Amino acid sequence: MSMSEYIDFVLDRTENMYNIVQYEGHGSFWMVFFIGILFGGIIQYTRVDKFEKIAGFAMGKDTIIPKMLFLAIGITSIALYFAIKMGYASYHVKPMIISGLVIGGILFGISMAILGKCPGTGPVSIAEGRVDVLVGAVGGIFGGYVFTKYYDTIFKPLMGENHGKISLVDVSGEHATFFVLLYGIALIIIAIAIPKMELLDEADLEQLEK
Amino acid sequence: MKRRLPWWLGGILMSLLLLFTFSVFGADRPIGASTYVPYYAGILFGMDPEQYTYLQEIEKPGAWEGVMLLGALVGGLFTSVFITKSFRISVMPSAWKRYKNNSVKSRLVWSFISGFFLIVGARLAGGCTSGHFLSGMSQTAFSSMIFGGVVLVTLLITGKFFYNKGASK
Repeated sequence: MSMSEYIDFVLDRTENMYNIVQYEGHGSFWMVFFIGILFGGIIQYTRVDKFEKIAGFAMGKDTIIPKMLFLAIGITSIALYFAIKMGYASYHVKPMIISGLVIGGILFGISMAILGKCPGTGPVSIAEGRVDVLVGAVGGIFGGYVFTKYYDTIFKPLMGENHGKISLVDVSGEHATFFVLLYGIALIIIAIAIPKMELLDEADLEQLEK
Repeated sequence: MKRRLPWWLGGILMSLLLLFTFSVFGADRPIGASTYVPYYAGILFGMDPEQYTYLQEIEKPGAWEGVMLLGALVGGLFTSVFITKSFRISVMPSAWKRYKNNSVKSRLVWSFISGFFLIVGARLAGGCTSGHFLSGMSQTAFSSMIFGGVVLVTLLITGKFFYNKGASK
């Protein structure tokens, strides 16, 4: 591929990305962009994109991440259940690919502790000027490349058998309302009960004092 | 203006955003934030989607998340410049300096390696903190609970052994 062919390719693919989102029926381009702005804004404003929050949690010195995460999941699980009952939304459950989940989870957990970011908070950190995370993102792009290239030969077989899309709502059948309430309330209680610990970034504090 | 939102307000706002995104008024789908990486890798490395089954599989979610990511960058930049005032160019997190080492090279090499495996791991599992934790566990999905449990345990074990106590310095 020559340089000009490459540029054409990138432009074509980018235009294609716009067209897919605009006409796929999951929100217009601007709607999805707007969701992204709010997503980035909430992460940034609560400062959970910080190394001190995620790596700090891994070190057992900060608990803002699990508190916020479990609270959000607890509330959403209950509200989403009723929104779906009323026909305003639907479930999009991910499949049970046991070895993929376990091997992937182990790699993900180790990497998240070291990088101090996940794929959602990383970009927000980069937007905040963190060069080390940008280097991590370059690593991630290479990871994405290798995964795509060897998907059929290495990664797909590694993911193992697909046991279908199962959730608590499915298995509890007619008692689903009870179990979802129990699950959601339990998560909210856990979020509140986790002792609040914070590891602060001295460099941020200095910046605020200026 | 407050420089930082408390965790409970952040949790409530994130929940509202998730509900909006799930609803037919928003995008009628969950939030995810790791499929965009192989999607962009495909674009940057000039990979023809017709030759790679994975690119075909992620064509739609990849594009959706690709656009959401652009929004997240704008939202993050805007908030860090005007609200949290935390925007600054830096290569070394303070806590890395205190609990790991003082070497920029070490931080960057580890960043690259962990960034690489972060994405490989997320794609093997079919989701990340957003797709599995936030969106998946909100749907009471068992796959997401398994992923969540494994990640929590490995995260805490890694944190314990990778970093040092760093009491002095």
